[in-house]
Amino acid sequence: MPGALLTYRLPNVPIQDMKMRGFLSRSQRSKVVPYVLIVPAFAVVFVLAVFSVFWLIRMSLVQWTFGVEWQEAAWVGLDNFQWLLFSEHSTFRDSVGLTTVYVAGTLIPELVIGFGLALLLNRQIIGRSVYTAILIIPIVVMPSMVGLVWRLYFSYDGLVNFFVETFFGVKPNWYGAELALPAVMLVDIWEWTPFFVLILLAGLQALPREPYDAALVDGASNWQLFRHITLPLMAPLVLTATILRFMDILRIFAVIFVMFGGGPGDATTTLPIYIYKATLVARNVGRGSAVSVMLIIIIVTLTFLLVRLLERAKFEM
Amino acid sequence: MINWNKLRKRLGGGALNVITLIAVLLFLFPYLFMVTSAFKSRQETFAYPPVWIFRPTLEHFRSILADLDIMFYMKNSTIVAVASTLLTMLIAIPATYSFARYKFPFKEPIAYGFLFLQMVPGISMVFSLFYIARRLQLYDTYLFLVVCYLLWNVPYAIWMLRGFIEAIPVALEESAMVDGCSRFRAFLLITLPLMAGGLAATAILIFIGVWNEFALAFFLTSTQSRTMPTTIAFFMTHAGIKWGPMFATATLGTLPVVVFALLVRKYFISALTFGAVKG
Repeated sequence: MPGALLTYRLPNVPIQDMKMRGFLSRSQRSKVVPYVLIVPAFAVVFVLAVFSVFWLIRMSLVQWTFGVEWQEAAWVGLDNFQWLLFSEHSTFRDSVGLTTVYVAGTLIPELVIGFGLALLLNRQIIGRSVYTAILIIPIVVMPSMVGLVWRLYFSYDGLVNFFVETFFGVKPNWYGAELALPAVMLVDIWEWTPFFVLILLAGLQALPREPYDAALVDGASNWQLFRHITLPLMAPLVLTATILRFMDILRIFAVIFVMFGGGPGDATTTLPIYIYKATLVARNVGRGSAVSVMLIIIIVTLTFLLVRLLERAKFEM
Repeated sequence: MINWNKLRKRLGGGALNVITLIAVLLFLFPYLFMVTSAFKSRQETFAYPPVWIFRPTLEHFRSILADLDIMFYMKNSTIVAVASTLLTMLIAIPATYSFARYKFPFKEPIAYGFLFLQMVPGISMVFSLFYIARRLQLYDTYLFLVVCYLLWNVPYAIWMLRGFIEAIPVALEESAMVDGCSRFRAFLLITLPLMAGGLAATAILIFIGVWNEFALAFFLTSTQSRTMPTTIAFFMTHAGIKWGPMFATATLGTLPVVVFALLVRKYFISALTFGAVKG
């Protein structure tokens, strides 16, 4: 802040403290130091971000085919956005709908199963540390490999159908348009339910003992303990974990890309996949960039709103 | 006399234990099946119903080591992951210290600016990064990939570390400064050792994230700096997928991270939780 230097006044301190180091006094330095410390982070992150966002916005305003020189690109203004949002040929709105289904269909089961399993593991149980160690595995395995492996598991004569046939007597075609989306959702549930288990289990174990003792003296049932003590105490953590996961689900790319590449047809084309298909399959860089811009706007807006919600929720607790 | 109440409680508890065991095994099973499939012959991989007992073969591992030179991609992954993790920490620690210990104008807006950047999906930036890389003639280099990862990892590290630094009382640093330490030495000798666990947790999560990252690595590298997650492209041939070598590569690529995460699972869980508790 140059202003900070201009408003500098002689501090009322003993002479020996005013010893000059370099060309700045101690008090001047204390005003500059916080900025100096964030300069490297600011430089690296914001310079690259500003460059690529600027370039992205420029690309979203032109008609440009992938692989053609930039000189050939024709300025079209907001046409790409207009086409995506309003054209009857645009599948963008379908993709938004599909993404919503994907988010709801993974987030809710992950939370419910995750909370359930966390409660089960929170009882007096032998081998809890082994269980939590196992649950780390799906989270840390490479998503691209996860996608390819599950592609085989979901094939007609694959592992999943072996169990489905054993228990239900049918062999569904997971590669078809109806079941492709549930298939990728199941993989997401496998990968990320442990995330909820680990976070919520840690939360459960940190709960205070006293409210339970008091309620037990009053003869409360297990359900009442859960409903009136555990749930309210866990609410902020549940909300936080859900928001964190929600932000991440909107960005899922590798697993869906590798499993079905957005297909068959558009059956698994969530917004991140839509960007890839518009840019590299349809080779329409302008349109792909316009989707990127809109996805960024959606995510940043949601982050802003959800962080506000979270802060308010914590405040009221 | 049978104590029915006690018996019911015990059986109920036993049933819940069995449910827990089965549920957890369901999460382990797909990974275990992947690792074992790497040791199966081609026919056994496709067998229906699946083969549970078989004579293990190292054929696929031999094939990826010899024909694919998989160690080259392991080396690339290691270089990129280690370099990004170290650089991220080097850049993020001073910045975080500034956010945690100083008051200055626009502090929170800048901090939230970092948070929002971290939320931007990689896939939406990758094609503009691709053109920038081409323009700078940095396409398919370690350098560009590492710098791109900084874009996401530095904000992430700042948000993780800030909580860890703020949890350490500033009075400790001040008393060291009264004893004649400079601010920098006070941080280095007092605060840094106290937050070693937090540093480790952050570094581990960043390392795993970079090691596994797909979208950026897939579109920003080709032959020279291709990393492990993007080697899947080699197995998706026109003649179908080469499953045996694929399972072997998946095993090789995931094993280091799984072992690593299990060794430091205390930090891993605390990192997940800490991020959550802080929001």
